[in-house]
Amino acid sequence: MAADLVLDTAIRDWVLIPLSVVMVLIGVLRYFVSKLMRSSQLPDAKIVKEGQVIIRARNLRASANFIPSKSFRARKAYFGNEENGLLFVPKGQAQNAQAQMFSDPNMAMDMMKKNLSMIIPQTLTFAWVNFFFSGFVAAKIPFPLTQRFRSMLQNGIDYSTIDVSYVSSRSWYFLNMFGLRGLFSLILGEENATDDTQRMMQMSGFGFDPSKSLGAEKDGLDIIQHEWALPKFEQRAEATLRKLIS
Amino acid sequence: MVSKTEETQVNRLENQVDNGGGGAWEYLCLVRKLKLRRSDKVLKHGLSILNDSTKRSTLGSEEWTLYEQVAIAAMDCQCLDVAKDCIKVLQKKFPGSKRVGRLEAMLLEAKGSWAEAEIAYSSLLEDNSMDQVIHKRRAAMAKAQGNLSGAIEGLNKYLEIFMADLDVWRELAEIYVSLQMYKQAAFCYEELILSQPTNPVYHLAYADVLYTLGGLENLQSAKKYYASVTDLTGGKNTRALFGICLCTFAIGQLTKGRNKEEKD
Repeated sequence: MAADLVLDTAIRDWVLIPLSVVMVLIGVLRYFVSKLMRSSQLPDAKIVKEGQVIIRARNLRASANFIPSKSFRARKAYFGNEENGLLFVPKGQAQNAQAQMFSDPNMAMDMMKKNLSMIIPQTLTFAWVNFFFSGFVAAKIPFPLTQRFRSMLQNGIDYSTIDVSYVSSRSWYFLNMFGLRGLFSLILGEENATDDTQRMMQMSGFGFDPSKSLGAEKDGLDIIQHEWALPKFEQRAEATLRKLIS
Repeated sequence: MVSKTEETQVNRLENQVDNGGGGAWEYLCLVRKLKLRRSDKVLKHGLSILNDSTKRSTLGSEEWTLYEQVAIAAMDCQCLDVAKDCIKVLQKKFPGSKRVGRLEAMLLEAKGSWAEAEIAYSSLLEDNSMDQVIHKRRAAMAKAQGNLSGAIEGLNKYLEIFMADLDVWRELAEIYVSLQMYKQAAFCYEELILSQPTNPVYHLAYADVLYTLGGLENLQSAKKYYASVTDLTGGKNTRALFGICLCTFAIGQLTKGRNKEEKD
């Protein structure tokens, strides 16, 4: 009996299509709003420098064997010096950076703007969908699915007898929310700001502490053993030359 | 770095465009993406697009990028009138833009009015002290005026913050070599080797510097680096082969008369 559930065409015209259209329009609107609110923020010299120091120290660690040991020792001392080395972080300053990040009103403002442009439209649309379209079976996907997909596709409908391939309106909303990213990148250009998942990643990465990675690099440099690779190259060069001649 | 496939693609497109085969815009995009310096071609083909209003309008907002690209290419070719026109168009479109301000300062520099360009660059730096391009331009300007120590100072200041910038290390190394400050140049080349340990060009330059410095230890190191170049290029680098010969000869001269164990 579940198989011959017939969906009214009015549901298609008044639920399925409006929902998708509204989702697209909201996505576009959000893109422009966030574009308006985005403030170009100048990178801080200290942070840039720390990033560059880490790159350089990583290079040094990775290819230390390619420079003479005298040069390596000089660099190691320069990076890991306890007084004013580049990788040395004075104690107590690490805490400071974190605190400064939160006390900086610009930073907090930026975060709030990002959050506003993300959370407010989402709650509003969700409430709107819930209010007008709750409980509809909006669509049917053309292939059968196992029971595990029920919570994904039939959110908001509590009948266990309906076949899983029917999609409820609320689930259709969720599918649209996450599935329209490809469409957005098509109509708004590659780097559109509506990428929610990416933004969430950024949020969790917030509070990243550069001094920690500086310390890690320093430890890495400390334990590295320098073994000049160049003497080996002489033999290898000889071998290549011999091969060339023969 | 430009990979092999990209290079062949660029050359193929360039050939095609030169023979009137179309694809000029793709060629310009690729040149911009790979940061190549083919100013004469960019100027020629970019202008042909810009002068054709139908072609220009198909670009949409990319039009302004093309104006910028052509302006820079024109300055490189000393076609200052063309550059001036391009910058004028951009200025009308984006009044007060810093990116256009940078172009104007570059135009002043291309004209050779150093003092004015310096003022323009400084005022731009006041707004954004982290602008890498402007720092580099100032160093380049100092070099163009023959003020090599000024250029060195600028580059060193730049490297204090952006110390992972390879091109700047390389430029600095070359300036040091031209001033015969080989120890400093050696340091710069070591830095380059560290970041790209399999690039034979840096090994070769480092070996040259070491050989020029002289002394037994340096000569032996130089020989090793020449050997590594030979290995990395598969024995096809004549300069490296000649370098090995010279090093061996010089080491032989220095160690004449000593006992054989030290020779090694």
